[in-house]
Amino acid sequence: MRLITHNMLQCHVKNCNDNNFPLRLEEVEVELVEADFQPEFLQNIIGKLEWPAFVNTAVQLGNTNLPATIPDNAKDNEEFLKVLHTALLETHVQQGKMVCPNCSHVYPIKDGIPNMLLAEHEI
Amino acid sequence: MPSYLVQFAQSHDEFRLPEFESLAVIENVNVKFNRDEYRLDRPFLKVEIESDEEAAKLVKRAILIKSIYELWGEGENLEELHASVRETSDRWPHYMGKSFKFSVTAFGSTIVAKKSLEMINSFSFLGFDGDIDMTNPQFQFSILVDFGSERSKYMKVGTFEAEKMYLGKLVTSGSRDLVNRYNLKKRNYLGTTSMDAELSLIMANQALAGPGKLVYDPFVGTGSFLFTCSHFGAYTLGSDIDGRQIRGKGKSSIKSNIAQYDLGDRVLDTLTFDICHNPWRIDNWLDAIVTDPPYGVRAGAKKLGRKENSKKQVSLRTYEGLPMHERDDYYPPTKPYEMSEVLMDLLEFSARQLRLGGRLVYWLPTIVDEYSNEDVPQHPCMKLISNSEQNFGAWSRRLITMQKVAEAHQGEHATIPVHHHSENDVTANRVEQQVRMREEESTEEAEQNKQQPGHYAFREKYFGVF
Repeated sequence: MRLITHNMLQCHVKNCNDNNFPLRLEEVEVELVEADFQPEFLQNIIGKLEWPAFVNTAVQLGNTNLPATIPDNAKDNEEFLKVLHTALLETHVQQGKMVCPNCSHVYPIKDGIPNMLLAEHEI
Repeated sequence: MPSYLVQFAQSHDEFRLPEFESLAVIENVNVKFNRDEYRLDRPFLKVEIESDEEAAKLVKRAILIKSIYELWGEGENLEELHASVRETSDRWPHYMGKSFKFSVTAFGSTIVAKKSLEMINSFSFLGFDGDIDMTNPQFQFSILVDFGSERSKYMKVGTFEAEKMYLGKLVTSGSRDLVNRYNLKKRNYLGTTSMDAELSLIMANQALAGPGKLVYDPFVGTGSFLFTCSHFGAYTLGSDIDGRQIRGKGKSSIKSNIAQYDLGDRVLDTLTFDICHNPWRIDNWLDAIVTDPPYGVRAGAKKLGRKENSKKQVSLRTYEGLPMHERDDYYPPTKPYEMSEVLMDLLEFSARQLRLGGRLVYWLPTIVDEYSNEDVPQHPCMKLISNSEQNFGAWSRRLITMQKVAEAHQGEHATIPVHHHSENDVTANRVEQQVRMREEESTEEAEQNKQQPGHYAFREKYFGVF
């Protein structure tokens, strides 16, 4: 699971509607996998990111290169886009779990595949 | 604008024009043509495009177009064609001293080699003095002969004349070779519902998948659409209620297919969850949704929950001291997911999650005798772009392409018209009842007209009738 995906996921247990994002990463195994740099995609997705959550998650995983706020010229700032690219698209959580900060539901990540299924009393 | 001749493949006829029009949108190419001239049973269509460069852009990723030619002349017979080509003499000097090749392509019949050669030689008035190079020429010219599709069925070759002839200079060929590259026979990991390569590629074009875009498949299965959409440069995400399909077995999985096709840069992730209970925190973020919803012929659709008449308690049982749902091997119970529900959920999900202008591309199975165009599910935010049928006799499936044209608002719902054919149709009555319950839940509207669309009780009829 890449950090872009993590940034789009919230806890969706029934009636868990507040403080259910971002899911806390625990006991994670992280892998960096190089990927082609394509600024066009980053420029398109940047406005959809929940930035503070993204920065915090990256810091938790040991990446402190992201600025606290999105720079004004973000879309033309290649240096920034490259840093974003590495954190967003090249950082993979291979094993671990995501825990809801509100209801503590645990979503396991196994071989890079997050399991977001709910138990029957949670739907 | 100059004239060009499109040579379509004789494959998936109903999908050809929608793909062509999608390509014009993707590449932002200005194309003009007369819709009345387009025939499903013919490979040729005359179009107007600004330049060779624009024509090449338009066709380069086409799956259902073989080639595009700059049109040099046309006529109902060779004399007319000659006369028409002679009017282009201002173009000829450019080709002097350049290597070239001439060929003859016939549709609806065959032309013997001797006749072909005569036809080619009859164009010697062009006076090209460059080398003839059959393997790697600078320019390729084709005499394209259309015999029509009717007479060839019962008349002997050589006993009837062509209906139309063209001379064209080849601009470029489409991407039909990709059908081979993504051929299921060569794919490392497959499921029973993997979509064939040609249709998966066409769907990527219908979705306008391309660089910078984000495409999502909520019923990802073994990932067919992730590969074709990412092939064209899009970033892709998939999810499925059945994680076993994603993980595969041993060394075969979606992951191994990604490696086989070298698409790891752009196939972002696949996740396990039920689209009815999805964890996406965000709206208006997807450029396209491309999917083949499970409709129960090969794999019955499921969603989370327990069947209503199930006796088991919903309480949290424990096993070896752990609540069942916290065990590693826990898999929540599922219940059947009726197709009409799948469709309504898919449209409502798309209306929310697509960006304005984003596309939904999906398959709708229908019973041929009962189908009418009004049966296609609708949503106030979604506009129908195309509807192409792949026929299997008594049933068929339709590739539906829709575009989000308005922001979704609370209280707007997808609608599925329902007509009633027979009061005694037990399965249809049962299914209809289920859907009506749902409609009453989701809208407070008065009684709907009793109608039964062509996909109604599809699974039951598929197994019961044929």
